[in-house]
Amino acid sequence: MSKLATWARLKSPWVLHFNSGACNGCDIEVVALLTPRYDVERFGIKLEPSPRHADVLLTTGVVTKQCAERLKRIYEQMPEPKFVVAIGACACSGGVFAGNYTVTGGVDKVIPVNAYIPGCPPKPEAIIDGVVKLLNSLKEAKPNGKK
Amino acid sequence: MGDRVQIQPAHLGKASIQVKADSNRDVLKVLLETDKSAGISAITGVDLGDKIGLLYHIRTNGAIVTVSTEVPKEAPKIPTITDLIPGAHFHEREVADLFGVTFEGHPNPARLVLPEDWPDNLYPLRKDAKLEKVSVKTETSKDQPEAVQPQSDGRLVNIIIGPQHPALLEPEKFSLQVDGEIVRNVEPRIGYVHRGVEKASEQRTYLQDVYLVERICGICNSCHSTCFVETVEKIMGIEVPPRGQYLRTIILELNRLHSHLLLLGHAGLEIGYETLFQYMWRDREPVMDLTEMLTGNRVIASSITIGGVRRDLKETDIPKIKTQLATLKKKMDFYQQLFENEPSLRMRTRNVGTLSKDDAVKLCVVGPVARASGVSMDVRKDEPYEAYGEIPFKLITRTEGDSWARLMVRLDEVTESINIIDYALDHMPQGPFRIKVPRVVTAGEAVSRVEAPRGELFYYVKSNGTAYPERVKARTPTFANIPAFLKTAIGGNIADVPPNFVSLDPCFSCTDR
Repeated sequence: MSKLATWARLKSPWVLHFNSGACNGCDIEVVALLTPRYDVERFGIKLEPSPRHADVLLTTGVVTKQCAERLKRIYEQMPEPKFVVAIGACACSGGVFAGNYTVTGGVDKVIPVNAYIPGCPPKPEAIIDGVVKLLNSLKEAKPNGKK
Repeated sequence: MGDRVQIQPAHLGKASIQVKADSNRDVLKVLLETDKSAGISAITGVDLGDKIGLLYHIRTNGAIVTVSTEVPKEAPKIPTITDLIPGAHFHEREVADLFGVTFEGHPNPARLVLPEDWPDNLYPLRKDAKLEKVSVKTETSKDQPEAVQPQSDGRLVNIIIGPQHPALLEPEKFSLQVDGEIVRNVEPRIGYVHRGVEKASEQRTYLQDVYLVERICGICNSCHSTCFVETVEKIMGIEVPPRGQYLRTIILELNRLHSHLLLLGHAGLEIGYETLFQYMWRDREPVMDLTEMLTGNRVIASSITIGGVRRDLKETDIPKIKTQLATLKKKMDFYQQLFENEPSLRMRTRNVGTLSKDDAVKLCVVGPVARASGVSMDVRKDEPYEAYGEIPFKLITRTEGDSWARLMVRLDEVTESINIIDYALDHMPQGPFRIKVPRVVTAGEAVSRVEAPRGELFYYVKSNGTAYPERVKARTPTFANIPAFLKTAIGGNIADVPPNFVSLDPCFSCTDR
């Protein structure tokens, strides 16, 4: 039964996109993924508006202090098993904004992260590569919180 | 007004006027009454030690006039000018938040960009602010209930959009008070993307700042870097070589192309017309390819630097750019037809969120939003920068003022942008594309404006003669355009909120900085 669930998850991961303080650079590349040239729906990846239906959380941008609580809440609303992908230099480590007065830092300061995709912004190809790598690693990996 | 007013040589726009705090309001009143189409571009606060300088940048007759005054840091108080010009509302709240200046008589002096539980008496942009140990716990404002709650009379219902919402790509919150289907009030809560860029730029060198300000907004990044370096070049008195100016113009127009196509597609998504979104974004990809070819990166170009651009254009690339853009131009004819004739698109956008010309002037909106309401305003025409003075192009205006007109202005501007790039490629001067500049910037201050895809972008830079700026202020187009949304959404249908909102092309990473 769990094999079936993993198979289904691998074939159609539903992703939620949350911008926790990005400059929009990564965001437009995430949206570009859905459009005809990159078309991630061929991997079964579907952008989902509600955290309660999502398997993967794509986060972009540095986490501002005002957004940190919200990011945590969105993460908690997602059903298990859940995975987090940090897209872009800011989400990975804070990027150019690290150390500013309203900034907490990278996404991993607030919630656990499964995959990091560096770049400012990463090209859509890089994001696809990262997400596909995450999917492949799901076969063995244990979901968050049970490491 | 005798000794209360001093007119100084022009360094902050066309003229700069030094006034005492008590006559500040009178001078602004005179300025705003002389030119009925005058508006406010920005209010800049500057920490001057024991005083706080307030610079009111007034946009009059297409140029900037700066009125500067000083208030004591101990008890900074100045009368509000929101009754003279309603567009000053957000500007005053921002200065109040970041500098702690009280604007007496302001209709709603609430927090704007800082978190709700930010400590009182801590103003981040003051030089002596100790910001290392600030902890902020909650993100929500105290006075706004999270859930949908009917008001006491049972008629008004609060609907909260954001911070995470499918219609918003960025985390911001809007509380709509709805009576049935009709929106009665909108309360915006911005600041979720406030990253403190203005403060951070004081701690970095000018060259590092170019990369920092570029990341204020990933969509109009080249506009931010151009506006910043132009301001610095003005302080240093540098002239960029003509080839550099032309290359900058091409990069800026590519930026506008991709931003407009992005928005037109996004508008399709918001009105429930997903095919349009997919088509537009497909046709936007060649523009991204051209940006990558010219600058080395798809999105954040990082190509503009102090003294010119960082990369030259290869002669062999010119035909490639021309063919790609010619293809795009042909496709724009199809979209023109579609936007004018497609009934579902027209039904969702015609007469939605209509902004009259008077309101557009009063609220000081900029860019395509102003042009769609019949205000002919474009920095590229008013105060030509880079190569725009030499390039012929049409200023697109419409008179309808509704969401449809705002989209149509952008659609027409796409064609104009293609023409501008074509012309610039044909008339590209030879010679160097950048000059070497010293790392240390001479002391001084300057303002500069650039027509970003969303409208007038405004920068103020003050240098103290070192390699680090004393103050960098950015006023972004969306910051000026939010009042238009608040004005047009009230009294409208709740289903009209998404098309109305998206037609302003909101960019909150710009707004919050």
